Amino acid sequence: MDIDISDILASVSPPSVSPSLLDLQSLTRAFIAERVAPSLLPYPSALMTRVLARIAAQIELVEHETGKVDPRANFRLVVLQTEVERWKYLVRALLRARIAKLADYPLFYLEDAEVSGRLSAAERQYLGARQGLLGEHYAVAFLGQFPAGLRRLDDASGGVRMVDRPDEEAAVFVRCLRDIGPVRVEGTDTEADMRRGDVWVMRWSVVREWWENGDVELI
Amino acid sequence: MALPLPPGLTPAEVAFLCEMEMVTIVPRQRLDGLELLGGSIPPLQPPRRTDIPLWLALLLKRQNRANIVPPPWLLPASLANILDVETEMTEAFSSPPPLPPSAKGSEPISPPFQPSCTADASAHALPYHWLEVGEVLLDAASDDFEEPDLVRRLIRDIREVRLSKLRAGVEVLDAGGGVQMNGVGGLEVAEGRAFIGGVIDNLRKLGASKEQTRKEREAEEERNGYSGAGADDYDDDMEL
Repeated sequence: MDIDISDILASVSPPSVSPSLLDLQSLTRAFIAERVAPSLLPYPSALMTRVLARIAAQIELVEHETGKVDPRANFRLVVLQTEVERWKYLVRALLRARIAKLADYPLFYLEDAEVSGRLSAAERQYLGARQGLLGEHYAVAFLGQFPAGLRRLDDASGGVRMVDRPDEEAAVFVRCLRDIGPVRVEGTDTEADMRRGDVWVMRWSVVREWWENGDVELI
Repeated sequence: MALPLPPGLTPAEVAFLCEMEMVTIVPRQRLDGLELLGGSIPPLQPPRRTDIPLWLALLLKRQNRANIVPPPWLLPASLANILDVETEMTEAFSSPPPLPPSAKGSEPISPPFQPSCTADASAHALPYHWLEVGEVLLDAASDDFEEPDLVRRLIRDIREVRLSKLRAGVEVLDAGGGVQMNGVGGLEVAEGRAFIGGVIDNLRKLGASKEQTRKEREAEEERNGYSGAGADDYDDDMEL
């Protein structure tokens, strides 16, 4: 019964949500997703460009208005600044969470073309420079004394890869934003019927595709 | 520079997120409308009720510029009802407010942006950030409650009941994941993540080789056109 009603509601009154609030929601979701997903997610470049431009414009407005000394306008400025700080915190936390992942698995994110496509230009530059310095330091500190054949940091001989990779199978909490239907985890008895509004604990590799389509969100 | 925190949200981060929930206030002072990055705030005119984000409501409350209207589910009678439901349902959490309908093609709205803490929210469902919003409001605006101590006690009771369910739910965890947790709260996810995720991940690592064999067998059967029922026969044959 309830489901029928909500379907009818959906067709009658789609709520109007301001694009600014949608941006805030996307930024918040990107932050949460990056904090809880086991591996690095694609850089949300369109969203970040928009958000950074709007934060910059808002800061400029605050700076411009600080010149006026009307006590009434003063409190407005406090509110504006508080909000800007909240947005800046979200952006900063998102980027720092990404850097933490890059620092954990630098070689993995450098070597694979598909994976390194998830990095922004600045992140790619940072990771390249960092790994260059680190490699040089290792070489001087101890790798140089090894036999030439044992100096590589990304050796894959003997069937064992040296490059650590994030655990793509790790369990994550997701909320379904749209109906997905029955889902089966290969190689196990686990089956799930994922419906809109449900919260499930699932393997990241299983739900990743739906996350990319925006059918589920990480929580 | 890199975030020195383990994966998963910390309680402080969850508290930050819950401050984006909309709440209803009764302004005590006029304030012109504001164009914020996250949308515009309508002009505040006492005593007209207005919905604004929780962080702004707390700022206004602290400066004595507004009173916060507790959401209907945070009233003693509603909490007592919810506590009864939570106690009766031993397996699952009470159902959360349904996601709001979304227009076709537009981004679906979900907590904390779903308006579930305003004065016209449902009185029978605990929203995603129920515990955080409850604690924050009791802390910052306890004078806006009629019986803050009773509310505080009911919240603690509900939390106890739900925590024991969370603990009892550990038994159903297995390597494949697939645990349904409808109605779980934001802080409860943050608390349970390390343990629940850890158990599932470690069980998977223990059974990894068995799972790999089964995956290969299933792939083989797929190629040979065996049905699911045939797979069981195959098992029996092997044992014979």
